[in-house]
Amino acid sequence: MVAINRKRKAVTRDVAEDPIAAPGDEFTGGDLEGVLSQSEDESYHSGSNSEEELEEEEDEVDGEGDDSELEEDLEVSEDDDEDIREQMRNLQTSNPPPSHTNGTNGDLQNGQDFSDNDLDRFEDDSPNYTVTTDANGNTRYIYKEIDPVYDSDDSDAAAGVNTIGDIPLSFYDSYPHIGYDINGKKIMRPAKGAALDSLLDSIEFPKGWTGLTDPATGKPLNLSREELEILKKVTRNELPEEGYDPYPDMIEYFSGKLEVMPLSAAPEPKRRFVPSKHEAKRVMKIVKAIREGRIKPYTPPVEQENEDPELINYDIWADEVPRPDHIMNIPAPKLPPPGYADSYHPPPEYLPDQQEKAAWDSTDPEDRDKEYLPTDFGALRKVPGYDNVKMTFERCLDLYLAPRVRRSKLNIDPESLLPKLPSPDELRPFPTVCANIFRDHQGRVRSVSVDPTGTLVASGADDGYVRVWEMLTGRQLWNKKLSDDEAVDVVTWRPSKDTAIIAAAAGETVYFTIPFGLHTVNPEIEQASREVLDSGFGYQANKPTTETNINKEPTATWSRPSTSLTNDGVLLTASVRSTIKVITWHRRGDYFATVSPKGQSHAVAIHTLSKHLTQLPFRKLKGLAQTAQFHPSKPIFFVATQRNIRSYDLSAQTLLKIMQPGARWISSIDVHPGGDNLIVGSYDRRLLWHDMDLSTKPYKTLRYHQKAIRAVKFHQGGLPLFADASDDGSLQIFHGKVVGDLMENATIVPLKVLRGHVEKGALGVLGLDWHPRHPWCVSAGADGSCRVWC
Amino acid sequence: MPRIKKKGQSGAAKNFITRTQAVRKLQVSLPDFRRLCIFKGIYPREPRNKKKVSKRATPSTTFYYTKDIQYLLHEPLLNKFRDHKALAKKIGKALGRGEVGDAARLEKSKPRMRLDHIIKERYPTFIDALRDLDDALSMLFLFANLPSTTHIPPQTIALCQRLCLEFEHYLIVTNSLKKSFLSIKGIYYQATIQGQDILWLVPYKFVQRMTGDIDFRIMGTFIEFYTTLLGFTNYRLYTSIGLVYPPKFDSASDERGAELGAITLEGKSISATPIVANGFEGDDNPTRAIDAQAEADKVAHLQENEEEAGENDQPEWEPEEGNDAIDTFEPVATQDADILPQPQFSSSEAATLFSDLTFFLSRETPRAPLEFILKAFGCKRVGWDLVLGEGSFTSDEKDPSITHQLVDRPNLPANAFPDVPIETDVGNLVKKSASRVPGRTYVQPQWVWDCINQGKLLRPDLYAPGATLPPHLSPWVKPKQGQYDPTAPLAEQEREGEADLHQEELEVEDEAMEGAGLAVQPVDQPDMDALLDQSDVEAGQGMQIDGSDSSGEEDSDAEDQRPDWSAGSADSDVELSDSEQQRLEYQRELEAEAKGLPAPKADSSKKSGKKVVSEARKKADKKRKEQEEELERQRMMLPNRKRKLFDKMQYGNAKKDAEAEALRKKKRKLEKGEKIKGVA
Repeated sequence: MVAINRKRKAVTRDVAEDPIAAPGDEFTGGDLEGVLSQSEDESYHSGSNSEEELEEEEDEVDGEGDDSELEEDLEVSEDDDEDIREQMRNLQTSNPPPSHTNGTNGDLQNGQDFSDNDLDRFEDDSPNYTVTTDANGNTRYIYKEIDPVYDSDDSDAAAGVNTIGDIPLSFYDSYPHIGYDINGKKIMRPAKGAALDSLLDSIEFPKGWTGLTDPATGKPLNLSREELEILKKVTRNELPEEGYDPYPDMIEYFSGKLEVMPLSAAPEPKRRFVPSKHEAKRVMKIVKAIREGRIKPYTPPVEQENEDPELINYDIWADEVPRPDHIMNIPAPKLPPPGYADSYHPPPEYLPDQQEKAAWDSTDPEDRDKEYLPTDFGALRKVPGYDNVKMTFERCLDLYLAPRVRRSKLNIDPESLLPKLPSPDELRPFPTVCANIFRDHQGRVRSVSVDPTGTLVASGADDGYVRVWEMLTGRQLWNKKLSDDEAVDVVTWRPSKDTAIIAAAAGETVYFTIPFGLHTVNPEIEQASREVLDSGFGYQANKPTTETNINKEPTATWSRPSTSLTNDGVLLTASVRSTIKVITWHRRGDYFATVSPKGQSHAVAIHTLSKHLTQLPFRKLKGLAQTAQFHPSKPIFFVATQRNIRSYDLSAQTLLKIMQPGARWISSIDVHPGGDNLIVGSYDRRLLWHDMDLSTKPYKTLRYHQKAIRAVKFHQGGLPLFADASDDGSLQIFHGKVVGDLMENATIVPLKVLRGHVEKGALGVLGLDWHPRHPWCVSAGADGSCRVWC
Repeated sequence: MPRIKKKGQSGAAKNFITRTQAVRKLQVSLPDFRRLCIFKGIYPREPRNKKKVSKRATPSTTFYYTKDIQYLLHEPLLNKFRDHKALAKKIGKALGRGEVGDAARLEKSKPRMRLDHIIKERYPTFIDALRDLDDALSMLFLFANLPSTTHIPPQTIALCQRLCLEFEHYLIVTNSLKKSFLSIKGIYYQATIQGQDILWLVPYKFVQRMTGDIDFRIMGTFIEFYTTLLGFTNYRLYTSIGLVYPPKFDSASDERGAELGAITLEGKSISATPIVANGFEGDDNPTRAIDAQAEADKVAHLQENEEEAGENDQPEWEPEEGNDAIDTFEPVATQDADILPQPQFSSSEAATLFSDLTFFLSRETPRAPLEFILKAFGCKRVGWDLVLGEGSFTSDEKDPSITHQLVDRPNLPANAFPDVPIETDVGNLVKKSASRVPGRTYVQPQWVWDCINQGKLLRPDLYAPGATLPPHLSPWVKPKQGQYDPTAPLAEQEREGEADLHQEELEVEDEAMEGAGLAVQPVDQPDMDALLDQSDVEAGQGMQIDGSDSSGEEDSDAEDQRPDWSAGSADSDVELSDSEQQRLEYQRELEAEAKGLPAPKADSSKKSGKKVVSEARKKADKKRKEQEEELERQRMMLPNRKRKLFDKMQYGNAKKDAEAEALRKKKRKLEKGEKIKGVA
């Protein structure tokens, strides 16, 4: 540090101070003594320039590193004090320790023995010879022996003293020496007059005492007053040197003053006294620009505080052009206007009662449909504040945050959804009440049929009886037991007004009966009926028997029954191979078809009454035949199997259509008198309406029954009615209007549920029939009764 | 082979964009995006199928319409936002360096945002703007009453106040305020401007609660937009009636609480003098404006009528000069012609409703809404106590020209003030409380609201101070079939047999109450007080000493109205039919029973009454059953989908019906309570 300071001093000195100043003045201080003494080869008194010397020293510093240098310097600087102490010690203790000398001394380095302390510093100055007189008496210079070491004559070599390097001195604490010199000789620890020193220390604080130990020498490190001063200045951020001016006045060499000796002899250039053309040009350019208005002179910005920026001073809609709203734009819905309950003084009925209040209190605030309870404040002054800020904030959130969706609001009257049903007046008449009950049958009544005139009802039951009733009075007019062991499954009247023939099926046999003795059956009708039944016998006889017929078993046997039966009017029987379940007549009454579901290839048979002829149109039928029906006007025959209904053209003998009602098991079908529509009843509780022009699938599927549907029937006499009978004991009457227009679909309206039959053995109503003209219908129940509904 | 379509490349997936995507696309921060959305009126959509729209498995995000976001890309405001951001950075930097001067300079050079183009864009026509004014007005009126906080600078509040006052002035000048309603939340107003109905809410003057969960930055953005909107609207409205905009705003008088009086309107022509000062007639200038407004309203009404009329042949209508009233059309033959509805309430009527009256507002009444509403309905002279602020017609309560005083304080007993004997012109001495000025009508504030909603001056005695007021009803509820209407008598609305049912239920309840040893308490006693009050006030009316002309007219009006009032009550008496009487009788018996008295002689009648009730009930049951059957029959014919829809709608209707029925039931109970009290 000292070295650096010195350097600065040196550098500044050659600028600031007189370069010719005598160097000797500076080096009078004792502090420099030691420094110079380091280089022993340099003679102290040589007139060499102090600058050079300092530079040398700098080099040294560079070579050795800062720490050691510092230590050395410090050590050196306290030599004076040391001397004094040593002198004191010498005074008191006459024999000083042998190796007491300062390690920096050249004597030590040379390894010579020197006991003289006083002279050790100036030893170098003394000639290295002793003058003796030789034998001749002449002075003789005896030179000291030169120790031929490596650097004995090296003037540049650093005066290395302790060579232990950069290790703490404490390593040598347990040794008498503190290191080794360049020659490998021990540097002995300086003696410490411990007791004396401590005494001295206690008496007075040594000057320049720092409490540190010089690592190189092992002596206490003391600083001189000047050094302390320098340190103090350094710590205060002051310049260490006294009187140094860091900012001297500038010496103006090139001043405007005319010197006697000018620095340059060049003549003054022209530009010094002629105004610049270029500048004038530029100025003119600006002037021109200002004149033209290209450059605007600077004006301080107008204070805009006075002017209200929010002030609106023009009509934004001055040229308004209506623009159609974007198709995707959904304007925010307006808040609904307040209702009566929002009033500050609502009608008393709007105020909540205790229950409502409790309910409101108990619900979560989020779940409430209103944020407040209607309250009656009575007077305007009593109305408290409301949290309008929150309300408005929520509205704001709704406006910008709520996803908007266009909902097609069902602002329609629910009534309008309901189909436009014809008014009940238009639908009338239809059967509504039970008018008559016919009770005489034992067992289930399987089938009923109304005669073509509409006065009589025939019924057949499990007891084997066929009974004829008068429809209006309910009087039993006629009965006949057809079979003892077989139930009468079907009873039908032949569809002709001029005859009165009942076809009833019991087991495999169809019995054709003319109920004698009825008031309706007058002799003419009886005669006509007999003729119809008997005409076939002649034909049968006349008919040439073909070979095929001989070989085969006849499909049906037509015969006259026993006399007991003929006496009661049963004039003809026709037997097929298996039990007949359905008989359907052709509209003319000449043909009829029987269906016996278990008959396999004989299931469906078409009989010709006038010829006593039986044909089996289907050699093989897919599925079990359930029922069959003739088309009311065309030569078309419908056969229903379990799942499908097939229609055949009888004249062309082709299959026309296969209808798939989708029911599991068809129970019955009926064809609309118009011929284009068909209703199908099924055991899986469905009633299906087929529009045959429309599709093979049903037009409507009606499922109103709890149990299987047994029978379906259209009204044949011009009224748009149809009915179905079900095992749940009810009949349902529908309005089914078919319009001639092809574009319009049929209107189907449920009209009435007729209940009355008692369910018996999981069976309810087994058969039904309509009156040929009136809206009356007859049903046959499993409870053994028939009911007339009108 | 057709090209294979990739998922998410077309259709709904392209049409919608999530919020995060939108923010990324616009390269703005989320708050900026929010502001932009508020300014531009862009809102999230609900796609029809969320799953098709979202590319991720969780479809629970908000979606914006992609086109909307694309429009935003070209928005000039977006650049302004970026400039602001850059500037904010500069200011932050300057402040960080401690260069306060620089920061101030930068702050000053902040680019100002104008929303004009957005107003024009969102509302291409003035009508569009009017249509969207509801929310704007509600919010501005709210903010005009808010205290200034760190979030709401006082300038904003002052601006809101000024704009609201300007708007109110327009309504006063054109008499376009139509209805008003005192609700729990505040006062609702409805005005009709150029055929557009505008409904807004003004909160009562209380210090609003500013709870922590309210984001005032969002509200501030809305306010910024709405102030601009209302500014332009006001400009247009003022210029359309020939007034100068902005009107002169006297901040000094505003500080003294003049409110409406702080603004002075000026006509556009040079000769025009300031108009509409309290108590002074304005010059002719605004009347033209009023005419124009009336004309516009009329045209709007006519258009509506035309729409309603449909194909009916329009009668020839030629407007006569100087007569802006709509002619009434009398149909010649009522059989084969429809009768078109005509508007009954025109602005000219609104202008004259209170025009002859002079009002004085007592200290306890809310001055601002009353002043506004009275002036909007033609009142020229409104006075109030000086504590309510400046600008009153008179602050002297004893001013003889005052005809009506609005009082909202309980009626103090007569001995609260020393009695002053006053001699009427008839000559009889009537003791009167000193606080009352004779010849003046004292009413509660609700009277004003009920008058304007009904379009005529109502009987003031029902609204006398301290009286139990008639219920205040919302003018916007249209009576609907099947819904409860408190104005109509109960008998007209209830379903058949409902009354009897309720009756029986009530009886059951009563019996239960009696069984528990509880007596049916009359609700309370205010009615009696009210009756007393009424008589008191009527006496006051009878003794007019120095009633001015206007008050005389008012009185005659009241007299005019009285007969039909009584006629109404007579009608109601007539309506008290047999069954009603039976019920009454039955009621009486019940009470007798409750008191432990022997039942009055009408024992047989009681039985017969019960029989009638049960019979009626049976009949009603039967009818209902029939109807239900019919409905069920029809329902059966519906396809499954439609049937579900039908059931849903039926559910909604049933809910409404149940509400209405509950109200009717309550009403009946109340009536019954009154009857009991009457008998007692």
